[in-house]
Amino acid sequence: MDVELIEIRNYLTEHPPFDQLPDGVLDILPRNLSVRYLRRGSNFPPDEEKNALWLLRTGAVEFRDPDGELMERLSEGEHFANPCSGASLIPRQIGKVIEDSLFYLLPCEIFSELRQQYPDFSNHFEQDLRSRLQHAIIQLQQRRGSGNSLMHVEAGTLIKRAPITIDPAQSIRQAAMLMSRERASSVLVVEQDNLVGILTDRDLRQRCVAAGVDVNHPLREIMTSDLQTLNIHAPAFEALIQMTRLHIHHMPVVDQQGKLKGIITASDILHQHNLNTVSLDSTIRHCQDVDGLVKASKQLPELQAQLISSGMNADQLTQALSAVTDGITKRLLQMAEKQLGPPPVPYAWLICGSQARREQTTVSDQDNALLLDDAFQPEHDAYFQSLARYVSDGLAQCGFVYCPGDAMATNPLWRQPRRVWRSYFNKWINTPEPKALMHSCIFFDMRALHGETGLFTQLQTQVLEQCRNNGIFLTNMAANALQYRPPLGFFRQFVLINDGEHDDTLDIKHRGVIPLVDLARVYALAAGISAINTRERLKAAEAAGVLSHDGTEDLLHALEFITTLRARHQARQHMEGLKMDNYLPPHSLTRPERSQLKDAFAIINSMQQAMKNRYQASGIA
Amino acid sequence: MLGTWGQNLWRKRQLTRLEDNPLREYYLRPFPSAAYDCRALEFVALDLETTGLDPKKDVILSIGFIKLHGMLIDLSSAQHHLLCPNREIPERSAVIHCITDDQAAEGKHIEDVLPQLLQQLSGRVMIAHYARVEMKFLDRACRQLYGGPFLIPVVDTQRIAKRALERRIQEIRFHDLRLAECRRRHGLPHYRMHNALSDALAAAELFLVQMAQFNCRKPVPLKYFL
Repeated sequence: MDVELIEIRNYLTEHPPFDQLPDGVLDILPRNLSVRYLRRGSNFPPDEEKNALWLLRTGAVEFRDPDGELMERLSEGEHFANPCSGASLIPRQIGKVIEDSLFYLLPCEIFSELRQQYPDFSNHFEQDLRSRLQHAIIQLQQRRGSGNSLMHVEAGTLIKRAPITIDPAQSIRQAAMLMSRERASSVLVVEQDNLVGILTDRDLRQRCVAAGVDVNHPLREIMTSDLQTLNIHAPAFEALIQMTRLHIHHMPVVDQQGKLKGIITASDILHQHNLNTVSLDSTIRHCQDVDGLVKASKQLPELQAQLISSGMNADQLTQALSAVTDGITKRLLQMAEKQLGPPPVPYAWLICGSQARREQTTVSDQDNALLLDDAFQPEHDAYFQSLARYVSDGLAQCGFVYCPGDAMATNPLWRQPRRVWRSYFNKWINTPEPKALMHSCIFFDMRALHGETGLFTQLQTQVLEQCRNNGIFLTNMAANALQYRPPLGFFRQFVLINDGEHDDTLDIKHRGVIPLVDLARVYALAAGISAINTRERLKAAEAAGVLSHDGTEDLLHALEFITTLRARHQARQHMEGLKMDNYLPPHSLTRPERSQLKDAFAIINSMQQAMKNRYQASGIA
Repeated sequence: MLGTWGQNLWRKRQLTRLEDNPLREYYLRPFPSAAYDCRALEFVALDLETTGLDPKKDVILSIGFIKLHGMLIDLSSAQHHLLCPNREIPERSAVIHCITDDQAAEGKHIEDVLPQLLQQLSGRVMIAHYARVEMKFLDRACRQLYGGPFLIPVVDTQRIAKRALERRIQEIRFHDLRLAECRRRHGLPHYRMHNALSDALAAAELFLVQMAQFNCRKPVPLKYFL
């Protein structure tokens, strides 16, 4: 026997969230609907049918705010639930049917019964943008990742045995005997229950045997102090990132009270993950020539795809990739120095942009600069020019394309002593014209990677002090940060832009990531915050009181959702043998993803408004 | 054709002639006036699937109908009945309607379904696409079962579509007037055809579109569509 009203049932099963309802409910639900047709130009919803959820079968509807500004457009398969969710919560909007439309109407009473009985269905209509987005992030995570990936495992579970510890007053020989007996490559040095250091095979070799230190000396002399530790509940990937960044192979793990629980080694992680950043990083550090680096960096896209499919989120991924890129850059600098000899004056190699923020993907380009000691003389420039050329060309060979805006140390403008950099920043801060602001975006996200990093710390401190509470500068930065606006959402196979224009693909970098990065930069500079990573900036801005708690949470969620979607898009491109990019075709997004992205865009938009009001920025064209 | 005023006179005469049966019940309620605004009227969209076009030789295989309150189709009123014909289904019509002898054998008899249908139609306006077939078959069934003719104010969506097309194009092909093609022209979704309920719903939606062509701020009298 065939199902009655099969056309309507089919429509429901094909459109979220109705697809979440059980078959039995879908069989009877069509009988609870009614059908309405509205011509183009009709008001929506019409006065006489206020008490229903409207499902759009064919046609299109749009909403504008009382000033006539476009807010949203709905098309086939989308719905309008406002009449059923209490009008007070909804901003005033004026609806109009813009194409002849056929609707199915679900009475509000039945809709609320369904919501009570079916939570998966109900979640979709959650009024609160925040909880909706949180839910979306969880869904996005669940869709990827196997159970035993580094993402799902706590650092504590990788500990193989109780920690092997020794007192720092013991001799080097006693330490070596203990390590041999325990077949361990390291011992942890503990003094009065406090972890004070670590002694590894490498320390014994390099600092004792090779250096000719007497094995009867206390081991304190050759141990590594100033240790980085990891909480046992931290996700295991955190160990991966830290080890990559610090170039270490041993990571002590402590509990909540700081009590030592054990140690994780690079090989413990290797067992979890065949291709990983620690092993890639160590390959890079042992490369003897640029060709070796080029070969190693060819693995980056594959690594990105693997890490994402193993369940890493975008923040962790870009941290890991940035750490690897840091490693490649450092290695190139070492090779250059080896070839060119020692520098005539101290210098610091600066990295800018996404790599500096530790938000890099494999499609990023290179942004860098050279900060030279004030003892610099014009005749020294030949050396630094060659250094910059060597590194920049090397990076380009490794796949990091030259910066299209020429923000690289090969450009003499960005290869200057500290006093010149000071004058640059003075100019950017005191006379913020459009070009200066463009440079600000690059050079306010900067960190020293190699050389005399102290040169940079001084510069940064002065600059931050100057930016902070500088009204005119902040107003201009805020206006500049409004240059990229998120879209309103999607309409059919298009991206719907503010003025009702359409884009064929979603440029997720310029319409999602950059607006967030720019927002965080303005708030960070306003509060004199030295962090450059967007998440860290947002959290620090909250702590400094320039961003509200709710605003911060919203922005963090939007960032995570958008960047994770981007990373997944790139992983998918890689698996299909395509070049990775930042352009998401709307048809590749599921309907829930479209509406979740719309939520994220709405958050960015409202936070951009808040920033605009706070710094009275009017926006520049 | 009689106006609704004339139809009502005729209806009252039937009341004196007919025995107490479902058809007489049906005639108790007056036909709605042709001057009434459609948006305040009630309609029943109807479709019959038959073994052919001649009510003397052919039989009804299934009946689908659905109610409209003004411009709103009430899906809860949807009904679909398979009838069991007292003869074999010709192969040609089985192919069109996908109703086989076995399915039909489990169906109801027309005398069980017709009272329900008449009750729904009473005092309302009928909608059908090419209504002549429905009218002929219902008339024959009423005469056979209840001894009287069947009459009702009818909105024929095909006739309305034809009038609208005549204003725009010279030569109308038969294909242009088919239900699916009329719906396609107005951007309505594609429904499977030759299921009595789907076709009834399809005609009802087409009528919503046809009604919507008129200025929504003025009344749309029923006579525009009769």
